[in-house]
Amino acid sequence: MNALSRFAADKTRSAGYGILVVAVILLGVIPLLMESLYSLHILVMVFFYVIAALSLRAIVISGQFPLGHAAFMGVGAYASGMAAKWLHLPPELTIPGAAVFTMIIGVMVAVSFSRLRALYYAMGSLFLGVAIIQILNAGGTWTGGYSGFSGITPMFGNSKVSWYYAALGLMILSAAALYRFEFSRIGTNMKAISQSHLVAESVGINEAKYRILAVAIGSFFVGLAGAGYAHYMGTIATSSYNFMATMWLFMYVLVGGVNNFFGPIVGSFILILIPEYFRSLKTYSPFISAGILFLFVYLMPGGFAGLIQAAVARVKSWRRERARDVAAD
Amino acid sequence: MLLQIDNLTKRFGGLTAVDGFNAYVDEGEVVGLIGPNGAGKSTVFNLVTGVFPPTSGRVFFDGEDITRKKPHTVAELGIGRTFQMNLLFADFTVLENVSASSHVYPRSSLFDMYFNTRRYRRNEAEISDRALQILQLLGLESYKDELAKNLPHGYQKMLGVARALATKPKLLMLDEPLGGMNPSEIDFSLQAISNARDSGVTVLIVEHNMQILSLCDRVVVISFGQKICEGSPREVRENEEVISAYFGGKHGSA
Ligand SMILES: Nc1ncnc2c1ncn2[C@@H]1O[C@H](COP(=O)(O)OP(=O)(O)OP(=O)(O)O)[C@@H](O)[C@H]1O
Ligand SMILES: [Mg+2]
Repeated sequence: MNALSRFAADKTRSAGYGILVVAVILLGVIPLLMESLYSLHILVMVFFYVIAALSLRAIVISGQFPLGHAAFMGVGAYASGMAAKWLHLPPELTIPGAAVFTMIIGVMVAVSFSRLRALYYAMGSLFLGVAIIQILNAGGTWTGGYSGFSGITPMFGNSKVSWYYAALGLMILSAAALYRFEFSRIGTNMKAISQSHLVAESVGINEAKYRILAVAIGSFFVGLAGAGYAHYMGTIATSSYNFMATMWLFMYVLVGGVNNFFGPIVGSFILILIPEYFRSLKTYSPFISAGILFLFVYLMPGGFAGLIQAAVARVKSWRRERARDVAAD
Repeated sequence: MLLQIDNLTKRFGGLTAVDGFNAYVDEGEVVGLIGPNGAGKSTVFNLVTGVFPPTSGRVFFDGEDITRKKPHTVAELGIGRTFQMNLLFADFTVLENVSASSHVYPRSSLFDMYFNTRRYRRNEAEISDRALQILQLLGLESYKDELAKNLPHGYQKMLGVARALATKPKLLMLDEPLGGMNPSEIDFSLQAISNARDSGVTVLIVEHNMQILSLCDRVVVISFGQKICEGSPREVRENEEVISAYFGGKHGSA
């Protein structure tokens, strides 16, 4: 299948539940096995970025390419950070509040963009993302300007292990919620729109409604990721949410595999962990990332998740054959 | 009168594609809409189904003014359609293509869809049952798990008809359903369309292939956006103006 053959309403999701369970258990015991706080830190970061990448996918399956998506992560981060710092509200309140706030902003934008398609939508959202960053940069002492601000209310007494489990839990819950969304009729309708909005409308699917809904869901979760991450880091700056940051989110989705719900998860892990592993070669890390992207897009058009799936299917058919052979004996 | 088109005009910049066009379709009829290339047939379809709004004029369906309604609303009200340039959900399977019209079924809320409630599961079961019936009716059932993009062209056209039928239309509007088909596919499609008519659907067909006339109760001829003639297939075939529109002017091909 071609990498851009788009989001078949596939049943591939059935592959590899076993892998999923093993992965969750593994992630669950890592803090017990690992001494290095730095490694835990990297993983917490990965968890938040998995949520962000999955939220991007939620919008992309409806045929919209939001080139300003990372800016919405910034909206969540700044909303929660500022509410906690300046209004002294507890993070338990500001984080979900910021997610809802980001969703509201997302819906307002989606309504005004609902007539834009393809390249026009992409360009519109690109400029919107830039505008959001400019506004945050211009916020004076409230936002801390270009350098952002620190001293964002911490949680869990800043314990790395507590943060690790909190972020892991949040990631699993978010993934489960988004999974249900994609594989319900709601997700199917969105995939239908992305393949042909004319045909979708002709069978009664309300294009505007579903596109706005996709952005609402995507904005909520990216706002959630941004807010959680801000409180974890304790400090924020607009440079984390610029166009380059959006490109990275797209890369996580691409490298993992666009045709696959698990693509963004696998992609985030690979693209954040591998450059970390080569950290001593810091200067080259952009080249390493570019190399990985090149490799995946050209050699594994189904992305890494696609590769795992193919392997699982291989093993299954091999087992079936063996069962047949045994039965024949 | 099921469909009434009243003095409909559409201008694209300086070009008047549809020019004060009037027509009607009665319940149970099969009406052909024919005319040379560029006459405005597909534009009439797009105006009726709300793909774009008319410059002036009105469209009534089942007693209701649907002139500026959105295409999805028009579909819900009971007009199913196909497209001339054979559009489909290329990466969905044949069955998924035909099941995509879940909206015209007893309304399920987003809540029902997300939580897969009992009510919703019942709906989905009904949807796929009906989809399978339609595929059977059109002889596509053996392809149901094939991706739509992998079907031969003629079958893709039929899939469009199946998808439109799945919206439970009162009126089925087909834009060149026989276009690009080989003779055996044409015979097959004519049969399928007459099956659909027999099941009680009213049909409005745009077609260049004159074999379609055998199915039509009545034919409307359009040229340069205007109705030039209307009548039984035989009357139309013998009409001077029609003959000159097809064979006299610069729009030669039919
Ligand atoms: N969206 C559009 N924008 C501008 N012009 C258009 C548009 N759609 C159709 N036209 C023009 O309107 C006229 C009528 O086109 P239409 O597609 O309705 O013809 P048709 O009768 O369906 O022809 P054909 O038999 O070739 O399909 C043509 O001159 C066409 O170029
Ligand atoms: Mg046409």
